Amino acid sequence: MNSIFTEQKPEVLIQKDGTRIDGRKPDEMRPISIEVGVLRKANGSAYIEWGGNRVLAAVYGPREVHPRHLALPDRALIRCRYNMAPFSTEERKRPGPDRRSVELSKVIREALIPAVFVERFPNTTIDIFVEILRSDAGTRIAGITAASLALADAGIPLKGLVAGCTVGKVEDWLVLDVGHEEDMWGDADIPLAMIMETREITLLQSDGTLTPDEFKEALDLAIKGCTYVYELQKEALRRPYVTVEKEVKGEE
Amino acid sequence: MKKSASSRAEIFVKDRELVLPGQALAKGPLKPEKGVYIDKNGVMRSYMVGLAEISDEKVGVIPLKGSYVPKAGDLVIARIERISQRIIFADINSYCKAIMIVPRSEPRRGGRRYSLLAKYEALAPGDVVLAKIMSYDGVSNPLLSIKGEGLGKIAGGSLIMIEPSKVPRALGKRQSMLQVLKQKARCDIIIAQNGIVWINSDDPRVIGAIEKALRKIERESHLSGLTERIGQMLDDLLGRKSR
Amino acid sequence: MGLEEKISSTLLKEHLLKLAQSGKRKDGRKFDEMRPIEVKEGTFTKGLGEAWVSLGKTQVLTSLKFDVGEPYPDTPDKGVLISNVELLPLASPSFEPGPPDENAIEIARVVDRAFRGSEAIDLSKLVIEEGKLVYILFLDLYVLDYDGNLFDALTLSSLITFARAEIPVVEVGDDGSPKLVKEKSFPLPLVDYPLSFSFVKIGEYLMLDPNLEEESVADAALTLAIDKDLNICSVQKRNGTFKLSEIIKAVDIARARYPQIMEQVKKVVNIA
Repeated sequence: MNSIFTEQKPEVLIQKDGTRIDGRKPDEMRPISIEVGVLRKANGSAYIEWGGNRVLAAVYGPREVHPRHLALPDRALIRCRYNMAPFSTEERKRPGPDRRSVELSKVIREALIPAVFVERFPNTTIDIFVEILRSDAGTRIAGITAASLALADAGIPLKGLVAGCTVGKVEDWLVLDVGHEEDMWGDADIPLAMIMETREITLLQSDGTLTPDEFKEALDLAIKGCTYVYELQKEALRRPYVTVEKEVKGEE
Repeated sequence: MKKSASSRAEIFVKDRELVLPGQALAKGPLKPEKGVYIDKNGVMRSYMVGLAEISDEKVGVIPLKGSYVPKAGDLVIARIERISQRIIFADINSYCKAIMIVPRSEPRRGGRRYSLLAKYEALAPGDVVLAKIMSYDGVSNPLLSIKGEGLGKIAGGSLIMIEPSKVPRALGKRQSMLQVLKQKARCDIIIAQNGIVWINSDDPRVIGAIEKALRKIERESHLSGLTERIGQMLDDLLGRKSR
Repeated sequence: MGLEEKISSTLLKEHLLKLAQSGKRKDGRKFDEMRPIEVKEGTFTKGLGEAWVSLGKTQVLTSLKFDVGEPYPDTPDKGVLISNVELLPLASPSFEPGPPDENAIEIARVVDRAFRGSEAIDLSKLVIEEGKLVYILFLDLYVLDYDGNLFDALTLSSLITFARAEIPVVEVGDDGSPKLVKEKSFPLPLVDYPLSFSFVKIGEYLMLDPNLEEESVADAALTLAIDKDLNICSVQKRNGTFKLSEIIKAVDIARARYPQIMEQVKKVVNIA
């Protein structure tokens, strides 16, 4: 009964000159727009549109841990829930965690913990929620990018912002910011995230085969992408204050 | 000596500049204050979104966001959650609950101790109190007390929540902003350190105007000249001119 | 326990009651006034129709997905509609992750009832092969930011979602399996436009569209759905008690407000 949702592999994934299926050049990123503080109830939140991705991240905390026995006596507990909405994919996804979202929740948590000064809030928890409203390859990276801003929006002490990007291998090309078809039918997919100011890599995964040279080149390319994303993060954090300043100056 | 110390320092941001987590602020022989951490290369960085406070000797960040961190001596408005034996648990709008210990004293006729005990015994879950934080070690629950003039159950009036990081701005230097709010509202207003404001009025126009003013303070706390703008706004909203 | 957060305090209740006694609400609204409604522009899901709606500070996102499958045995000539509510933990400190609890399930069933009661969706037009293959529609209701009154916000969001939905045409191929016909779709058969109106009672005072504070101190709660002919198509009383006169008053208020809310809906979707 599910044949109506089966996707067909495209005939040409990448052209000889490196033009990708969506028209991008190999080192070109998809359009990204970010808004911080979109939710009122959460302590911190951020919303990101990245290509066709629509991702909402929210942070509650620090707050009391329930059940109490999970609390850590010398630092904050960090919990993370990555969840895909049933309407985020072509074929409806049944609500609730599956094995993939359990793994991604862990990987995202481990990408963000190194940036948080957890020792400042013992016996508390900082809960991070990443909701994928619409999925278009690179959701974990979009989630980390948004969650890092949500942490900053919540006023949680951070070493720095965490930005991420993916690199893929399609035929002989290394491509930046993997798109949907490249994700499905490409040869390798490498998401990477890092604390930009300190250059510490906090997330790195890879599937597919790469030679050591290709791997190094891919990492360099990913870091370039992260640097671009980081600029957008900073602009998004600044924007509300800049807007208010302009309004007030306009009134005077 | 101080002059040469500061001339060896590198400063990367201006005073009162908006800074972001991880942003490099300075390097060298300066004293790091609140909001600043030092990385492994000796660079002082902000750990928050805030306004840089740079002087010849110190580097700090005034946070523009963040939850309330209890501090001994703080005046807070708390909501009683439950009472168990002689221990009262209260919500202080923070990541930990606060505790009050009901004093175990014999009521002395006409003595002060008697009325203090009565203050505690009058409390029930759901009540709102003005209290002081006696102590907080950063690990166990902060200890509250309602001993003292003016502390105890709050009756009447209305509560408005503001971001705890904006409380200093809402109070103003030497309470200058608070005075403006009280004058224009023509009623008593208490701004507690934990981001809860009590306004002793039942007039929705006054409450609405003060709430608008508080929201404006939250939005514009990073800009100067705020006190005048708030005064102006309240004059407009509460129009004291006769029609 | 209902959805009221533990923010309620005796001070708040006394204050709201005092305001109510002089005919006022804390946010300045009249007793029979709804909060501002905003429908966000843009595409946020992969649904056939969707709506991101704010009712005051409450924000919800609904989206419609579909599949094809067997009909329910007792209705072989009708398509299937399944509604699901997710009280996302990011929407409120009092929502916990996990399967829908009694509150989520109640909201889903009440929202669904508004459309079923008014027969707003002509399910008979969602059949591919009677008795064998029908459209199965999934209405997923996501709560993003909770500041009271999810019933009305979600019903409104669902109405806009249904009004926007385009159903892809599915045919049975020569091999007997269903196939999507590319580029062909038809609008969801929506024949009625129910709207929900929820009330709380604080003391003796009946108030429409409670925000979170009002919900947290309320003594009783009631939700009504009104259809395009201003008939009552569903009712749900929640906690507390109501006098008969209060229920009739609520009906009158809801019927009086329907045209105004409908005007706002018509600004974003094509409805006759």
